[in-house]
Amino acid sequence: MMHCTMEDLGALRAGEASVWARRHVTTCAACQAELEVLYQRVAQLKALPALHPPRDRWPAIHAALRAVRSRRRRTWGTWTGSLALAATIAAVLLVQPPGGEQGKLHAELSQAKQQSATLEDSLQQYDIDGRVLSGHAAALVAELEDRISILDGTLAQREQSVRDAELVKLWQERVGLMRELVNARATRARYVGL
Amino acid sequence: MPQDIRRYLKLLPGNYLATRCAVAGGPAYCVPLTAHYPATFYVVVASNFSDMTVALAVPDVIVARAQAGDEAALEALYRAFETPVYNLVRRILRRPEDAEDVLQETFLEVVRNLKQYRGEGHLWGWIRRIATTKALMRIRRDQVRETESLDDEPGKPGMHVGANIDLERAFDRLSETSRAVVWLHDVEGYTHEEIAEQMGKTVSFSKSQLARAHARLRGMLDEGAQA
Repeated sequence: MMHCTMEDLGALRAGEASVWARRHVTTCAACQAELEVLYQRVAQLKALPALHPPRDRWPAIHAALRAVRSRRRRTWGTWTGSLALAATIAAVLLVQPPGGEQGKLHAELSQAKQQSATLEDSLQQYDIDGRVLSGHAAALVAELEDRISILDGTLAQREQSVRDAELVKLWQERVGLMRELVNARATRARYVGL
Repeated sequence: MPQDIRRYLKLLPGNYLATRCAVAGGPAYCVPLTAHYPATFYVVVASNFSDMTVALAVPDVIVARAQAGDEAALEALYRAFETPVYNLVRRILRRPEDAEDVLQETFLEVVRNLKQYRGEGHLWGWIRRIATTKALMRIRRDQVRETESLDDEPGKPGMHVGANIDLERAFDRLSETSRAVVWLHDVEGYTHEEIAEQMGKTVSFSKSQLARAHARLRGMLDEGAQA
Protein backbone atom coordinates (compact mmCIF):
# COMPACT_ATOMS: atom_id res chain seq x y z
CA MET A 1 0.00 0.00 0.00
CA MET A 2 1.32 3.42 -0.95
CA HIS A 3 1.76 5.91 1.89
CA CYS A 4 2.16 9.65 2.10
CA THR A 5 5.62 11.05 1.55
CA MET A 6 7.03 13.78 3.76
CA GLU A 7 6.13 16.22 0.98
CA ASP A 8 2.54 14.99 1.15
CA LEU A 9 2.48 15.38 4.92
CA GLY A 10 3.89 18.89 4.66
CA ALA A 11 1.28 19.74 2.06
CA LEU A 12 -1.44 18.30 4.31
CA ARG A 13 -0.21 20.49 7.14
CA ALA A 14 -0.32 23.52 4.85
CA GLY A 15 -3.74 22.62 3.46
CA GLU A 16 -2.29 22.21 -0.01
CA ALA A 17 -2.31 18.43 -0.35
CA SER A 18 -3.48 16.52 -3.39
CA VAL A 19 -6.91 14.91 -3.47
CA TRP A 20 -5.28 11.50 -3.18
CA ALA A 21 -3.28 12.48 -0.05
CA ARG A 22 -6.31 14.03 1.62
CA ARG A 23 -8.36 10.90 1.00
CA HIS A 24 -5.57 8.54 1.94
CA VAL A 25 -4.84 10.11 5.29
CA THR A 26 -8.44 9.66 6.37
CA THR A 27 -8.20 5.90 5.95
CA CYS A 28 -4.55 5.14 6.75
CA ALA A 29 -3.71 4.94 10.45
CA ALA A 30 0.04 4.93 9.77
CA CYS A 31 -0.09 8.19 7.81
CA GLN A 32 -2.39 9.76 10.38
CA ALA A 33 0.16 8.90 13.05
CA GLU A 34 2.97 10.25 10.90
CA LEU A 35 1.11 13.51 10.38
CA GLU A 36 0.54 13.79 14.12
CA VAL A 37 4.25 13.24 14.74
CA LEU A 38 5.00 16.03 12.28
CA TYR A 39 2.64 18.39 14.11
CA GLN A 40 4.24 17.49 17.41
CA ARG A 41 7.73 18.00 16.05
CA VAL A 42 6.88 21.47 14.78
CA ALA A 43 5.30 22.33 18.14
CA GLN A 44 8.44 21.12 19.89
CA LEU A 45 10.61 23.25 17.60
CA LYS A 46 8.53 26.30 18.47
CA ALA A 47 8.92 25.48 22.16
CA LEU A 48 12.71 25.24 22.09
CA PRO A 49 14.21 27.64 24.62
CA ALA A 50 15.45 30.99 23.37
CA LEU A 51 19.19 31.18 22.87
CA HIS A 52 20.84 34.25 24.34
CA PRO A 53 23.95 35.93 22.98
CA PRO A 54 26.91 34.80 25.07
CA ARG A 55 28.42 38.29 25.14
CA ASP A 56 27.06 41.79 25.22
CA ARG A 57 27.65 43.16 21.74
CA TRP A 58 26.30 46.63 22.41
CA PRO A 59 29.67 48.17 23.42
CA ALA A 60 31.19 47.12 20.08
CA ILE A 61 28.17 48.33 18.12
CA HIS A 62 28.14 51.60 20.05
CA ALA A 63 31.83 52.16 19.43
CA ALA A 64 31.43 51.42 15.73
CA LEU A 65 28.54 53.89 15.50
CA ARG A 66 30.57 56.57 17.24
CA ALA A 67 33.44 55.95 14.87
CA VAL A 68 31.17 56.37 11.86
CA ARG A 69 29.71 59.60 13.21
CA SER A 70 33.11 60.95 14.06
CA ARG A 71 34.36 60.15 10.57
CA ARG A 72 31.41 61.97 9.04
CA ARG A 73 32.14 65.02 11.14
CA ARG A 74 35.79 64.81 10.22
CA THR A 75 35.02 64.47 6.53
CA TRP A 76 32.83 67.56 6.71
CA GLY A 77 35.49 69.40 8.67
CA THR A 78 38.12 68.40 6.15
CA TRP A 79 36.03 69.68 3.28
CA THR A 80 35.26 73.00 4.87
CA GLY A 81 38.81 73.29 6.16
CA SER A 82 40.31 72.51 2.78
CA LEU A 83 38.13 75.01 0.97
CA ALA A 84 38.90 77.78 3.42
CA LEU A 85 42.58 76.86 3.38
CA ALA A 86 42.69 77.02 -0.40
CA ALA A 87 41.17 80.49 -0.25
CA THR A 88 43.74 81.61 2.31
CA ILE A 89 46.66 80.28 0.31
CA ALA A 90 45.36 81.95 -2.81
CA ALA A 91 45.06 85.25 -0.95
CA VAL A 92 48.57 84.94 0.49
CA LEU A 93 50.01 84.12 -2.92
CA LEU A 94 48.39 87.18 -4.41
CA VAL A 95 49.75 89.45 -1.72
CA GLN A 96 53.15 87.91 -1.21
CA PRO A 97 54.85 85.68 -3.76
CA PRO A 98 56.63 82.67 -2.23
CA GLY A 99 60.31 83.00 -1.59
CA GLY A 100 62.89 82.66 1.20
CA GLU A 101 61.46 81.68 4.61
CA GLN A 102 57.93 82.12 3.36
CA GLY A 103 58.62 79.78 0.43
CA LYS A 104 59.99 77.15 2.79
CA LEU A 105 56.87 77.32 4.95
CA HIS A 106 54.70 76.97 1.88
CA ALA A 107 56.67 73.93 0.81
CA GLU A 108 56.26 72.36 4.27
CA LEU A 109 52.58 73.15 4.28
CA SER A 110 52.16 71.61 0.87
CA GLN A 111 54.07 68.51 1.95
CA ALA A 112 51.98 68.08 5.11
CA LYS A 113 48.77 68.39 3.13
CA GLN A 114 50.01 65.90 0.59
CA GLN A 115 50.92 63.42 3.33
CA SER A 116 47.54 63.91 4.94
CA ALA A 117 45.77 63.22 1.65
CA THR A 118 47.88 60.11 1.07
CA LEU A 119 46.99 58.81 4.53
CA GLU A 120 43.30 59.51 3.87
CA ASP A 121 43.59 57.38 0.73
CA SER A 122 45.29 54.61 2.71
CA LEU A 123 42.47 54.68 5.21
CA GLN A 124 39.90 54.22 2.47
CA GLN A 125 41.62 51.03 1.40
CA TYR A 126 40.68 49.38 4.69
CA ASP A 127 37.01 49.38 3.74
CA ILE A 128 35.97 50.84 7.06
CA ASP A 129 32.25 50.53 6.45
CA GLY A 130 32.55 46.85 5.67
CA ARG A 131 34.35 46.02 8.87
CA VAL A 132 33.54 45.79 12.51
CA LEU A 133 36.14 46.42 15.16
CA SER A 134 36.31 45.09 18.66
CA GLY A 135 34.98 47.49 21.26
CA HIS A 136 38.45 48.38 22.50
CA ALA A 137 39.85 48.99 19.02
CA ALA A 138 36.81 50.97 17.97
CA ALA A 139 37.14 53.15 21.06
CA LEU A 140 40.76 53.89 20.19
CA VAL A 141 39.85 54.68 16.60
CA ALA A 142 36.95 56.84 17.71
CA GLU A 143 39.25 58.81 20.00
CA LEU A 144 41.72 59.43 17.19
CA GLU A 145 38.96 60.43 14.83
CA ASP A 146 37.58 62.81 17.43
CA ARG A 147 40.96 64.41 17.85
CA ILE A 148 41.34 64.79 14.09
CA SER A 149 37.85 66.23 13.91
CA ILE A 150 38.68 68.80 16.58
CA LEU A 151 41.88 69.67 14.77
CA ASP A 152 39.97 70.13 11.53
CA GLY A 153 37.60 72.42 13.34
CA THR A 154 40.55 74.47 14.56
CA LEU A 155 41.98 74.65 11.07
CA ALA A 156 38.64 75.74 9.67
CA GLN A 157 38.20 78.48 12.27
CA ARG A 158 41.70 79.86 12.57
CA GLU A 159 43.28 79.50 9.19
CA GLN A 160 42.30 83.05 8.23
CA SER A 161 44.19 84.59 11.10
CA VAL A 162 46.87 82.07 11.94
CA ARG A 163 50.48 82.58 10.83
CA ASP A 164 51.94 80.22 8.26
CA ALA A 165 54.30 78.62 10.76
CA GLU A 166 51.40 77.72 13.04
CA LEU A 167 49.38 76.47 10.10
CA VAL A 168 52.20 74.13 9.14
CA LYS A 169 52.37 72.90 12.72
CA LEU A 170 48.65 72.16 12.78
CA TRP A 171 48.80 70.29 9.50
CA GLN A 172 51.79 68.30 10.67
CA GLU A 173 49.90 67.41 13.83
CA ARG A 174 47.06 66.24 11.63
CA VAL A 175 49.45 64.04 9.65
CA GLY A 176 50.65 62.48 12.92
CA LEU A 177 47.13 61.69 14.05
CA MET A 178 46.20 60.33 10.63
CA ARG A 179 49.23 58.08 10.74
CA GLU A 180 48.15 56.74 14.15
CA LEU A 181 44.66 56.19 12.81
CA VAL A 182 45.88 54.27 9.79
CA ASN A 183 48.08 52.14 12.04
CA ALA A 184 45.19 51.45 14.39
CA ARG A 185 42.99 50.41 11.49
CA ALA A 186 45.69 48.28 9.93
CA THR A 187 46.74 46.45 13.09
CA ARG A 188 43.18 45.90 14.28
CA ALA A 189 42.09 44.57 10.89
CA ARG A 190 43.25 41.12 11.86
CA TYR A 191 40.74 41.03 14.66
CA VAL A 192 37.82 42.19 12.60
CA GLY A 193 34.84 39.87 12.71
CA LEU A 194 35.75 38.05 15.87
CA MET B 1 0.01 30.97 31.59
CA PRO B 2 0.48 29.07 28.31
CA GLN B 3 3.88 27.64 27.56
CA ASP B 4 4.54 29.83 24.52
CA ILE B 5 4.03 32.96 26.57
CA ARG B 6 6.34 31.70 29.28
CA ARG B 7 8.95 31.02 26.64
CA TYR B 8 8.76 34.57 25.37
CA LEU B 9 8.83 35.99 28.84
CA LYS B 10 12.19 34.31 29.18
CA LEU B 11 13.43 36.58 26.41
CA LEU B 12 13.13 39.51 28.75
CA PRO B 13 15.84 40.86 30.95
CA GLY B 14 15.02 40.48 34.62
CA ASN B 15 11.83 39.12 36.07
CA TYR B 16 9.02 41.25 34.76
CA LEU B 17 5.37 40.50 35.25
CA ALA B 18 3.10 40.72 32.26
CA THR B 19 0.19 43.08 32.58
CA ARG B 20 -2.83 43.44 30.38
CA CYS B 21 -2.81 46.67 28.42
CA ALA B 22 -4.30 48.19 25.32
CA VAL B 23 -2.37 48.17 22.08
CA ALA B 24 -3.40 48.58 18.47
CA GLY B 25 -5.44 45.56 17.51
CA GLY B 26 -6.90 44.88 20.92
CA PRO B 27 -5.84 43.97 24.44
CA ALA B 28 -2.45 42.48 24.92
CA TYR B 29 -0.17 41.20 27.60
CA CYS B 30 2.74 43.58 27.86
CA VAL B 31 5.87 43.76 29.89
CA PRO B 32 8.03 46.80 30.57
CA LEU B 33 11.20 46.06 28.75
CA THR B 34 14.06 48.13 30.06
CA ALA B 35 14.95 50.26 33.00
CA HIS B 36 15.53 53.15 30.61
CA TYR B 37 11.90 53.40 29.64
CA PRO B 38 9.95 51.69 32.42
CA ALA B 39 6.62 53.29 31.67
CA THR B 40 6.55 53.34 27.89
CA PHE B 41 8.64 50.53 26.54
CA TYR B 42 6.83 47.22 26.43
CA VAL B 43 6.98 43.87 24.82
CA VAL B 44 3.66 42.45 23.75
CA VAL B 45 3.69 38.91 24.97
CA ALA B 46 0.35 37.78 23.67
CA SER B 47 -2.49 39.66 22.09
CA ASN B 48 -4.71 36.66 21.72
CA PHE B 49 -4.45 33.42 23.62
CA SER B 50 -6.24 31.48 20.93
CA ASP B 51 -3.75 32.16 18.16
CA MET B 52 -0.82 32.93 20.44
CA THR B 53 0.24 36.02 18.59
CA VAL B 54 3.61 37.03 19.88
CA ALA B 55 5.33 40.22 18.94
CA LEU B 56 7.77 42.73 20.26
CA ALA B 57 6.23 46.15 20.57
CA VAL B 58 8.28 49.30 20.60
CA PRO B 59 6.58 52.64 21.14
CA ASP B 60 6.83 55.04 18.25
CA VAL B 61 8.55 57.59 20.42
CA ILE B 62 11.47 55.24 20.99
CA VAL B 63 11.79 54.55 17.28
CA ALA B 64 11.62 58.26 16.55
CA ARG B 65 14.34 58.99 19.10
CA ALA B 66 16.48 56.23 17.67
CA GLN B 67 15.95 57.57 14.16
CA ALA B 68 17.16 60.94 15.41
CA GLY B 69 20.32 59.28 16.67
CA ASP B 70 19.50 59.22 20.40
CA GLU B 71 22.00 56.70 21.75
CA ALA B 72 19.87 55.68 24.71
CA ALA B 73 17.00 54.86 22.36
CA LEU B 74 19.33 52.95 20.04
CA GLU B 75 20.55 50.90 22.96
CA ALA B 76 16.96 50.31 24.04
CA LEU B 77 16.19 48.97 20.58
CA TYR B 78 19.22 46.73 20.77
CA ARG B 79 18.21 45.44 24.21
CA ALA B 80 14.72 44.76 22.92
CA PHE B 81 15.79 42.73 19.94
CA GLU B 82 19.19 41.25 20.74
CA THR B 83 17.84 37.92 21.98
CA PRO B 84 15.18 37.42 19.28
CA VAL B 85 17.76 38.25 16.61
CA TYR B 86 20.45 36.08 18.12
CA ASN B 87 18.03 33.20 18.65
CA LEU B 88 16.90 33.42 15.01
CA VAL B 89 20.36 33.53 13.47
CA ARG B 90 21.82 31.01 15.92
CA ARG B 91 19.11 28.52 14.98
CA ILE B 92 20.05 29.01 11.33
CA LEU B 93 23.83 29.13 11.65
CA ARG B 94 25.80 26.25 13.02
CA ARG B 95 28.58 28.22 14.71
CA PRO B 96 27.84 30.51 17.66
CA GLU B 97 30.54 32.97 16.64
CA ASP B 98 28.91 33.37 13.24
CA ALA B 99 25.61 34.09 14.95
CA GLU B 100 27.27 36.72 17.14
CA ASP B 101 28.80 38.38 14.09
CA VAL B 102 25.46 38.42 12.31
CA LEU B 103 23.82 39.88 15.41
CA GLN B 104 26.30 42.73 15.34
CA GLU B 105 26.09 43.23 11.58
CA THR B 106 22.31 43.24 11.79
CA PHE B 107 22.19 46.03 14.35
CA LEU B 108 24.76 48.10 12.54
CA GLU B 109 22.57 47.88 9.46
CA VAL B 110 19.44 48.56 11.49
CA VAL B 111 21.00 51.76 12.82
CA ARG B 112 22.30 52.77 9.38
CA ASN B 113 18.91 52.31 7.76
CA LEU B 114 16.56 53.13 10.60
CA LYS B 115 15.53 56.38 8.95
CA GLN B 116 14.17 54.37 6.05
CA TYR B 117 11.81 52.51 8.37
CA ARG B 118 8.48 54.30 7.93
CA GLY B 119 6.50 52.38 10.49
CA GLU B 120 4.84 50.27 7.82
CA GLY B 121 4.64 46.81 9.23
CA HIS B 122 6.07 45.68 12.52
CA LEU B 123 9.55 46.81 13.48
CA TRP B 124 10.43 43.26 14.47
CA GLY B 125 9.44 42.07 11.01
CA TRP B 126 11.77 44.64 9.46
CA ILE B 127 14.66 43.76 11.75
CA ARG B 128 14.02 40.04 11.34
CA ARG B 129 14.24 40.38 7.59
CA ILE B 130 17.63 42.09 7.86
CA ALA B 131 18.87 39.42 10.25
CA THR B 132 17.59 36.60 8.04
CA THR B 133 19.17 38.11 4.95
CA LYS B 134 22.51 38.44 6.69
CA ALA B 135 22.39 34.89 8.03
CA LEU B 136 21.53 33.52 4.59
CA MET B 137 24.29 35.61 3.03
CA ARG B 138 26.73 34.06 5.44
CA ILE B 139 25.56 30.58 4.49
CA ARG B 140 26.07 31.39 0.82
CA ARG B 141 29.48 32.89 1.52
CA ASP B 142 30.59 29.86 3.47
CA GLN B 143 29.08 27.20 1.25
CA VAL B 144 32.21 25.19 1.78
CA ARG B 145 31.03 24.57 5.34
CA GLU B 146 27.70 23.41 4.08
CA THR B 147 27.84 19.71 4.84
CA GLU B 148 25.29 17.41 6.25
CA SER B 149 27.56 14.81 7.75
CA LEU B 150 26.22 13.31 10.92
CA ASP B 151 29.61 12.43 12.31
CA ASP B 152 31.47 15.70 12.11
CA GLU B 153 29.78 17.77 14.76
CA PRO B 154 32.29 20.45 15.72
CA GLY B 155 33.90 19.84 19.06
CA LYS B 156 32.44 16.40 19.54
CA PRO B 157 34.58 14.02 17.52
CA GLY B 158 33.43 10.48 17.29
CA MET B 159 30.15 11.02 19.13
CA HIS B 160 27.55 8.51 18.08
CA VAL B 161 24.43 9.97 16.63
CA GLY B 162 21.83 7.64 17.98
CA ALA B 163 22.23 7.70 21.72
CA ASN B 164 19.81 9.93 23.62
CA ILE B 165 19.42 12.34 20.78
CA ASP B 166 16.73 14.95 21.26
CA LEU B 167 15.09 17.29 18.84
CA GLU B 168 17.44 20.18 19.50
CA ARG B 169 20.54 18.10 18.88
CA ALA B 170 18.99 16.50 15.82
CA PHE B 171 18.15 19.96 14.50
CA ASP B 172 21.71 21.09 15.12
CA ARG B 173 22.92 18.30 12.86
CA LEU B 174 21.00 19.50 9.84
CA SER B 175 22.78 21.51 7.20
CA GLU B 176 22.54 25.29 7.60
CA THR B 177 20.31 25.53 4.54
CA SER B 178 17.93 22.96 5.98
CA ARG B 179 18.00 24.64 9.37
CA ALA B 180 17.17 27.95 7.75
CA VAL B 181 14.21 26.55 5.83
CA VAL B 182 12.81 24.62 8.80
CA TRP B 183 13.20 27.47 11.25
CA LEU B 184 11.89 30.18 8.96
CA HIS B 185 8.91 28.10 7.84
CA ASP B 186 7.92 26.18 10.93
CA VAL B 187 8.84 28.60 13.70
CA GLU B 188 8.97 32.08 12.20
CA GLY B 189 5.99 31.47 9.97
CA TYR B 190 7.56 32.41 6.63
CA THR B 191 5.83 31.11 3.53
CA HIS B 192 7.73 29.06 0.98
CA GLU B 193 7.46 32.00 -1.38
CA GLU B 194 9.12 34.31 1.14
CA ILE B 195 11.85 31.79 1.89
CA ALA B 196 12.50 31.25 -1.81
CA GLU B 197 12.78 34.99 -2.37
CA GLN B 198 15.18 35.51 0.50
CA MET B 199 17.32 32.53 -0.45
CA GLY B 200 17.31 33.29 -4.13
CA LYS B 201 15.89 29.85 -4.83
CA THR B 202 12.62 28.42 -6.10
CA VAL B 203 9.51 27.61 -4.10
CA SER B 204 10.03 23.95 -5.02
CA PHE B 205 13.51 24.12 -3.51
CA SER B 206 12.10 25.44 -0.24
CA LYS B 207 9.40 22.78 -0.12
CA SER B 208 11.75 19.93 -0.91
CA GLN B 209 14.33 21.18 1.61
CA LEU B 210 11.65 21.28 4.28
CA ALA B 211 10.47 17.77 3.49
CA ARG B 212 14.02 16.42 3.40
CA ALA B 213 14.86 18.09 6.67
CA HIS B 214 11.82 16.64 8.41
CA ALA B 215 12.61 13.23 7.01
CA ARG B 216 16.12 13.51 8.45
CA LEU B 217 14.84 14.72 11.79
CA ARG B 218 12.39 11.82 11.87
CA GLY B 219 15.17 9.37 11.07
CA MET B 220 17.55 10.74 13.67
CA LEU B 221 14.91 10.81 16.38
CA ASP B 222 13.81 7.26 15.55
CA GLU B 223 17.39 6.10 15.65
CA GLY B 224 17.86 7.83 18.98
CA ALA B 225 14.74 6.26 20.42
CA GLN B 226 15.85 2.79 19.38
CA ALA B 227 19.38 3.16 20.73
